[in-house]
Amino acid sequence: MSHILPIALILFAIYSWYRTRQKAAPNGTGGSIRNRDLPKAAAELGFLPGEQLDTDRAYPPDPRITAVREAVQAGNWQAAAEFLAGAGRDWQERDRRSSVLATEAVKDDSWLLAWRKERPEDADVALVLAESLIYLAWEVRGSSTARHTTQEQFAGFHRILDQAREAVAAAQALAGDDPCPFIVEIPLAKGLGYPHERFEEIWAEIVKRDPHHLAAHTSALQYWCKKWRGSYELAESFARSAAQKGTPGQLLSVLPLEAYFEYEIAHDDLEQDEFYKRPEIVAAVDAALVDVAAAAAANPDDWRIPPVRHLLASLLYWQDRYEAAVEQFRLVDGYIDTVPWAYRGSREGMIKAYVQQRDFSAAQVVKARRGI
Amino acid sequence: MGATLRAVRALVLLAGFYLLGFVMLGVLVAVDWAVAEGGVGSVTAKVWIVSALLAIPIVQGMFALRTPKDEPLPGLSVTEQQEPALWAAVRKLAEQTGTRAPDEILLTPDVNAAVSEDATFLGLKPGRRRMYIGLPLMAGLSEPQLQAVLAHEFGHYTNHDTRLAAITLRGRLQVMRTVASLHERSRKKVAKEEAKQEKKNAKRLAKGKEAGEVDAGSAGLSYRLAAKPFLWYGTFYLRASQGVGRRQELAADLAAARIAGRDATASALREIPVLDAAHGFYMQSYATLGTGAGLLPPSGEVFGGLRHLLAGRADELDEMRQALPEEELSPYDSHPPIAERIAHIEQLPDDGRALTGARPALALLTDPTRSFAELERSALTPEAHQLRRAADWPQLVNDSMLWHADQDAEPLRTAVTEVHGGDGSLDAFLDAVDAGRLWEVADRLPKSQEAQDATGRAAREFARPQVRARLSRMTVVELARLGRAHWELSWTDAARLSLPDGYEEELKQALDAAVEDVPDTRELRRLLARAR
Repeated sequence: MSHILPIALILFAIYSWYRTRQKAAPNGTGGSIRNRDLPKAAAELGFLPGEQLDTDRAYPPDPRITAVREAVQAGNWQAAAEFLAGAGRDWQERDRRSSVLATEAVKDDSWLLAWRKERPEDADVALVLAESLIYLAWEVRGSSTARHTTQEQFAGFHRILDQAREAVAAAQALAGDDPCPFIVEIPLAKGLGYPHERFEEIWAEIVKRDPHHLAAHTSALQYWCKKWRGSYELAESFARSAAQKGTPGQLLSVLPLEAYFEYEIAHDDLEQDEFYKRPEIVAAVDAALVDVAAAAAANPDDWRIPPVRHLLASLLYWQDRYEAAVEQFRLVDGYIDTVPWAYRGSREGMIKAYVQQRDFSAAQVVKARRGI
Repeated sequence: MGATLRAVRALVLLAGFYLLGFVMLGVLVAVDWAVAEGGVGSVTAKVWIVSALLAIPIVQGMFALRTPKDEPLPGLSVTEQQEPALWAAVRKLAEQTGTRAPDEILLTPDVNAAVSEDATFLGLKPGRRRMYIGLPLMAGLSEPQLQAVLAHEFGHYTNHDTRLAAITLRGRLQVMRTVASLHERSRKKVAKEEAKQEKKNAKRLAKGKEAGEVDAGSAGLSYRLAAKPFLWYGTFYLRASQGVGRRQELAADLAAARIAGRDATASALREIPVLDAAHGFYMQSYATLGTGAGLLPPSGEVFGGLRHLLAGRADELDEMRQALPEEELSPYDSHPPIAERIAHIEQLPDDGRALTGARPALALLTDPTRSFAELERSALTPEAHQLRRAADWPQLVNDSMLWHADQDAEPLRTAVTEVHGGDGSLDAFLDAVDAGRLWEVADRLPKSQEAQDATGRAAREFARPQVRARLSRMTVVELARLGRAHWELSWTDAARLSLPDGYEEELKQALDAAVEDVPDTRELRRLLARAR
């Protein structure tokens, strides 16, 4: 019995190598592409070498964000207050800005304490505090599985989540029209395992205030995934109905792609080459292409677009639509801290996954253009 | 398989044990010879030394089998003049089971009863018999229950109806002893290593004397190596004869039931695991509570205090008695599961010997309190004897708990002194907090790996419960010194911290406030001022 495992592993390795070779030599038209030609093709199309990729960002640094980070690190809470207030009633922008501040507040919260002291009843500071406590709880827990998480980590996690729940309630009491204090409760719902009815209540508060908030939908999709509190069916139906209610430019059509991606990574035995070529996924990708084009036409600097393009590029690659994939890769090359690459965990893993799909697509495009 | 065949098999198995020893010695000699023949001088010498080291434990193993002398357990030997009632009861039981009475009775500090014999010639020639009776066992049993336990022990030696099967039992006992002794010695090795590292492991003090010398250094490895084949063989032997052994146990139970009564035997079987758990808990949580503080219970109470616990937790113990223990079966254990033994006894017809009105087993002793006191003399380690004796249990509990609290506060005192100077007192800590140095102080407390790796606000969240817990201990120590707090002994529950009325809730809030993100010491200072 103990001999079977190593043999199985060897067979699997040979099979994987064979698949890669096949993928490297598709269609049979003309000569095959050799692996060492891939970087050359990528360079020819103007792509960056792997080591120059930024694995900490999903899009180029925003000078306003850089500035506010530096300001709060220097203890300037007024800068934070202005930054958040500057989002006005653009709830998606407000959500992004509050999470930038909350992330900073996990590292050092002296400015947040000063802000709270000055403006105890302020909705903005309440939002940042609540969100930062949720991030902090996860920071204390760590990202290991339950078995590799200590009692101390769990105790801290739950203690802080309890504080977070109070802070979230306080922020919601001051929310008014703002959906953000309800959106920040979604990770709490995942961590504390809210039942579906309770989650639906929060969700109702969110869509009442902003029916098309992209980050809210992406976060809620995670709750509906099997790995948290839902199932494959619930995740897919949530994603589909989100895509249906959205209009081009709102980017909600990315949700089905996320649901398919979550399904695929949860199934080791799934053959990606076949799975992603299913007609409904091809159709979903087409819809997302229209959506993202509309969004870019409305505002080419929309920060919500790059993550959509990354996921699109990967799915286009699996669908053998190399020209379209290269088009997306070209628009986002350089900053890769987003799905699907971000799931790899390490910088090396992220770069490897990204470069492999990008360069392969590039080589196919180069080959097709030369008509070899 | 007939009884004779079984006995022959037992003898063959026993002989195999010797054969194994000779084969191993032979292999060593062969290696030595081969090396000497082809050998380089220095290598030869090394190989010889190693093989000599290996041979010692092997010879010891065989020697141990040939003369199964028990290492005498720590115990208080009592003469017939000292304890006439106990001796009379034992003699009567021996007579009823049809076996020879022991030559010596020893009272021991555990929940156990055992008979040993310094037999020779493969255990065929009888020797000096000792009976060990645990005083804690007596403390928990009634007289008929104790009779049942002792009758069971005697039952092992009689088996007059299956005379030949007794050889099997003897073989089993000796192999078990060898295996157990090998285990024991390797365990002692580990224990000795541990003892080196933490010499002041005070909890072990009261558990009995350290016996014998232990080989040092490289002999340890050869010891473990040589032990392996013996352990394998021993396991094989025990498994091979296990069925017989288990039948012997059931037979001994039946003998006990015949002599002491069905109900007494069944209830004693139920009682022993409960007593054992209670005794272990008692030793851990009461008897050795003060060893860190250099305190032992009053004379006679180190083992005798179990009686208070048994009385105090009667209801809890009753529940345990009803639930039969689920135990894991060890391949070495000749005893069938206790539930099976109890079922076996309880299905016997009622013999009309009810348990009501039975005297406690301790009534067999002339003066149980004196016996408990004398047992301490023989069973406590010299280090334990040096400890101070508490005046009474309440004092022991209060002083010990205060000591533990003070120990817990110690790292905080050190940290405060390092960061902010001062005398490490509670006031010095509060001054440091008011000076904005709480998190610097907290950062110096002992940390887990995860806490060490944490940065920023997460590091503070790891430190917060640590500093709060130690501050709480430090505050309680201060209150105790001011005469405002003390710990109350309870035989039914954990020691309870007693604070002035209404203090507890206020103290909690004051402690929380003192370790907030923006710490506030005013409440804690106010509480202290009130206590002073």
